[in-house]
Amino acid sequence: MRSLLITFLCLISLILQGQNSAIGSNEKLVFTASYNMSGLLTDLAQVTMETSEVKTSTSTLLHLKCKARTYTKWNNFFKINDLYESYVHPNSLKPYLYKRDINEGGYYKFMQYNYNYKTSSVKSLKRKRRKDGTYWDENKDLSISANTKDLVATLYHIRNLDIHKAAIGSKDTFTVLMDNEEFKISINLLAKETISTSIGRKECYKLAIAINNKSILEGSNDNLLWLTADANKIPVYAKFKVPVGNGELRIQSATGLKN
Amino acid sequence: MRLLITILAVLAAIIGLILSILPFGAIALIPIILAFILAFIAFKMAQKEQANTKFVKVVFLVTIIAFVLSLYRIVFDENIVENDIETIEKEKQSKEDAIEELEGLDIEN
Repeated sequence: MRSLLITFLCLISLILQGQNSAIGSNEKLVFTASYNMSGLLTDLAQVTMETSEVKTSTSTLLHLKCKARTYTKWNNFFKINDLYESYVHPNSLKPYLYKRDINEGGYYKFMQYNYNYKTSSVKSLKRKRRKDGTYWDENKDLSISANTKDLVATLYHIRNLDIHKAAIGSKDTFTVLMDNEEFKISINLLAKETISTSIGRKECYKLAIAINNKSILEGSNDNLLWLTADANKIPVYAKFKVPVGNGELRIQSATGLKN
Repeated sequence: MRLLITILAVLAAIIGLILSILPFGAIALIPIILAFILAFIAFKMAQKEQANTKFVKVVFLVTIIAFVLSLYRIVFDENIVENDIETIEKEKQSKEDAIEELEGLDIEN
């Protein structure tokens, strides 16, 4: 009887481990993206991360939507209107459909991934605009590894990790599908810091992000992300390197949080 | 030497003016301050050499215009994102298309 109870508890804990404990179904995070040169900031765009429930005839999914749009004052010079979406399982955050629609200063690109976990593959669609205004499509079937996710699903998956159980200095690697290629993204927990944000002073996990181990190996930690050290693990601040200077992402508001 | 400083002041003033017309905010102040310092040095050197200071005064004027324009932008330019109908419709259409796509996928419950 006792061993049966232990087995049952172990099973329950295993199931709970794969559960979404951080992301609510009606969450909205608003950020300001800025360009930083010699300590002087120029606000360029608004970035929003929204979640909502989507119902199909057989299931309910979580719609993760990330938008990047330049402020109106920039639109006459360079207009960005990007939309990244991922439709994931509400508990496991496993992605089923990914859409990326980017429109940057006249450059247009659309990507769509339909995941098929039975065959460990992704049906990919790439759509681009020609100079004459017509579109061309490229369809591909890609083989992916079991844990491959798109960029949006990976970001939300990182938020759902049990970071509080990780020791400072610990690393984790994720496989991300981007532009029909699989990339390894490494996350390194650097420290626990308290920082001031628009939503108050927050104790945060400071994470270094590197693609294919590039910046971590160089020891430069160019791309940094601060997630609140609470149950919601909201990204409140991010720093990233661009060819001239560096960029920043600062939170402006957070509503509809799960905890 | 005075000529070189004057040329640099002109260049900094032009860059400052361009950045203050564009919504670069406080970044425009870097070339503007530089232009002001260089123009001041060039002005003092011209006075010492008893040369014509008219051109340097024009550089000062351009720098002041750029400075005022830049300050106006810093104070009054708000961070607003247009909610145009085209974008709202695009997002709505994208969601409708996605639901159609998801109907055909094998989703675990």
